[in-house]
Amino acid sequence: MKRILFGLLLLLWSSITGCSPSATSATPDTVRIRWARDPENLDPLIANNPSSYEVSTLLHCSLLNISDTGRNIVPWLAAASPQVERLGDSLMLVSYSLRPEATWDNGKPVVAQDVAFTLKMMNCPGLPTEMDQAMFHFIQDIRLDTTDSRRFTLVCTGQSSDYVRNSGDFSILPEYALDPKGSLRSVSIRELRSGAATAYASVTSFVQRYQAAQLAQHPDNLPGCGPYQLKNWQPGRFLTFTRKLKWWGDALAKAPPILRAVPKSITYQIIPDAGTAMLALRRGDIDLYPLMPAAEFARLRRSDADRARLSFYTVDSYECVVANFNTRQPTLQDRFTRQALSALFDVPGLIRATQQGAAYRSASIVSPRVHPYYNDSLPLPTYDTQQAITLLRKAGWREVNGQGWVRKQAGKLLELRLSLSYRAGDPALEAAALQFRAAATAIRIPVDLRPTEASLLVQQLREGTTEVSLRSIGGNPAAYDFTPLFHSNSTSLYNYSGFGTPASDHLIEAIVQTPDTAQKTRLLRRFQRLLYTERPIYVLYFLQYRIAAARRLGRVPVTSIKPSYRANAIDFSPVTK
Amino acid sequence: MTRRLSFAQWLAVSWLLLVVVSACIAPTSSPVPDLLHTQEPPFQDPHWLGTDPLGHDVLQLLLAGARTTLLISIPTAVLASLLGGAAGSVAGFWGNSTYQVQRASAAAGVIGAVIALLFIPQLRTNPFPVGLVIGVLSCTVYYALRRTSWGQRQIAVPIDSMVQALIALLDSIPLLLLVLAIAAVQRPSSMGLVVLLVLTCWTTPARLLRAVTLRTKALLFVEAAVVAGLPTLRILRYHIWPNTWPVLLIRLPLSIAIIIGLETTLSFLGIGLAPEVASWGRLLASIRVAPAAWWLLVWPGAAIFFTILSLHTLVSTKITGFDKHLDVTK
Repeated sequence: MKRILFGLLLLLWSSITGCSPSATSATPDTVRIRWARDPENLDPLIANNPSSYEVSTLLHCSLLNISDTGRNIVPWLAAASPQVERLGDSLMLVSYSLRPEATWDNGKPVVAQDVAFTLKMMNCPGLPTEMDQAMFHFIQDIRLDTTDSRRFTLVCTGQSSDYVRNSGDFSILPEYALDPKGSLRSVSIRELRSGAATAYASVTSFVQRYQAAQLAQHPDNLPGCGPYQLKNWQPGRFLTFTRKLKWWGDALAKAPPILRAVPKSITYQIIPDAGTAMLALRRGDIDLYPLMPAAEFARLRRSDADRARLSFYTVDSYECVVANFNTRQPTLQDRFTRQALSALFDVPGLIRATQQGAAYRSASIVSPRVHPYYNDSLPLPTYDTQQAITLLRKAGWREVNGQGWVRKQAGKLLELRLSLSYRAGDPALEAAALQFRAAATAIRIPVDLRPTEASLLVQQLREGTTEVSLRSIGGNPAAYDFTPLFHSNSTSLYNYSGFGTPASDHLIEAIVQTPDTAQKTRLLRRFQRLLYTERPIYVLYFLQYRIAAARRLGRVPVTSIKPSYRANAIDFSPVTK
Repeated sequence: MTRRLSFAQWLAVSWLLLVVVSACIAPTSSPVPDLLHTQEPPFQDPHWLGTDPLGHDVLQLLLAGARTTLLISIPTAVLASLLGGAAGSVAGFWGNSTYQVQRASAAAGVIGAVIALLFIPQLRTNPFPVGLVIGVLSCTVYYALRRTSWGQRQIAVPIDSMVQALIALLDSIPLLLLVLAIAAVQRPSSMGLVVLLVLTCWTTPARLLRAVTLRTKALLFVEAAVVAGLPTLRILRYHIWPNTWPVLLIRLPLSIAIIIGLETTLSFLGIGLAPEVASWGRLLASIRVAPAAWWLLVWPGAAIFFTILSLHTLVSTKITGFDKHLDVTK
């Protein structure tokens, strides 16, 4: 009996001590942030998820960056905003001057030649640069200033202000580290793009050297001009970055937030499960929890104990949760079917249940917060199963003995049976999936739910093997190039819906190229109407970013753009309760 | 033979009956989320046990979860016991030297198996033609070798060692880790989960049956049957199994309890079952989304606890009764 009593007491004591928040093991000037997934690759050329983008901003610098509000651009590696000169009706010259303080780790200055090298690398055949080529196709050439090694001009086709902004949105990489012999200097961007450059032995050997460096897993082979360097990476567990002892940004008299680097160390803890992440935050194992589930955020905010330890921030984002219809699948090829399926999402209910009401609806992919561009004449789609049935009939589907829906397509009898894929472990997406399935089942559409691991889901989306999928799309109010998302040339990249008609392609290209704001507004509104009718995606809601952070971090700089905070500018200044 | 059940045993039987009745009366369709009534606390009309973060009625989920539990655990336990029992009996009875085959057969079998292993991808894409080719190849080897004196000689198949090696291999990997690894790559489904659990949980019944078979095989009446030249299957069917299967029967509730625990763990981790299938583990997991909703912990936790406790109580009852007859626990 004594033993049992002792055992019980031991169990009780260990439970109490185990459940109570541990004393923080964080050292001063250290920030520990929760990530839901591993970046998987840290090659700046193939960064394809929010985590790897964030790493890129710590290790490398672009010419420009987006301001915290997301509406303006701010110079980063560039000394000032670029000078723009429009030539005729199709060409544009964008001139930059690099910051004189900017240097690489070896003390050499960051010069225009590095920018030229990066652009050439992004067009180099044999490297995984399809995404870069799609995004920066408008940059035709780079002209280096012969009198100033830091000045250069980009020759762009098209005169859109989007192109000006995008022209500075890629990480500048060091030529001395990747191409010390300057083998790409003699090759032009045009030659690289046309594929003629494969004839150059120097290009082939460069590609081999680049691939041998294995930058995806060994970013330490690529020194950047950013303030941090990777110290430790345990895939699936954590990444630690340490601040460089000597960084060129320190020499700036009044550094903008993008060029501040206060924390000495930043650790990203990979915690896929939201509940576990919450526990880690409460135990003090992490300092910052971005994109927190709404219910938990509200609960922590109500708790006196948590309010004493944590600061809470919310900011309207430009990231939306969408249902993606793969228009390449036979069942989803016509717009009425897609419209019918859209009517099965109870969006107000989902916002209430999963976002505590703190999300906002939109009829299009443009945020309603962007007033001139958002097409407010479009009605918000409603949750209406009767309407769904009407639309299904309009699409040619007929109900067979109350068992399901069939239609003849290409001489075959096609059954309306769907699979719905979404990222496993995301409670909000799972809620939407279950709600959709219940509504679809009620009108006799069988739906197979497929919660899928994040990287596997991306692979399936890219291969076009999904049918309906739920995902989030990040955006910013200053960029309206829909080429990666909806252009028919991008179906092997980010156009997961496979949508694209000559009319929509033309509209996308016109939006990007027009320099006139009024014309752009008209085109954007027309494009939104087209998407509304064709429904390759259905926007469920725009998210509100919710961030909880330990008070010791001070005031966390939050932004409307993913990742919703600037880790480098966390300054540990005291915050009043 | 009639035995009076104690109060605890009555309670256990009653609870298990309640679980069975719940499974029978549970709604057959997937629960529909009620987004207007999410995380409602219990003891309120109409959701007497509360609702989960999606507005599902907890009582309905518990009933549907009971059915899932029974539909997963009972077939799994029975199939795993049969598979393990068969493997254990065969290993115990034949040992390493009793079962003999021609060398030609053994060689053909080994060659066929090796080729099949080497061509697994081709077998998956074109099972019939590739299988046929392998079959024809094996037959050719067999017919070629059986003409030789080497091929005609008999060779003992070490069935016991093979079964024991397989058991050791499976037991050397923690069961949960093994199940997790396989469940993570296969698409969630109830049938898939049953197959997965059967293939990983048969080792304990196999070890038990092997031990009991070894003991029974040594008894005089079995030896007499062997000496009398009775066919092997007849000896197994009429002389071995009647004395060994009660061990499996006693073990069955315990197997069910273990499988309920495993299924609940997998559902809690969000793998194994499809998301729309209600399960106690999944209901328990929703506490992670809503930690303040205590009813999401208490009701499914109590259901799991009482079910497993009842099964253990049932096992102890049976063992007590069985000891008096066979004394197998010593």
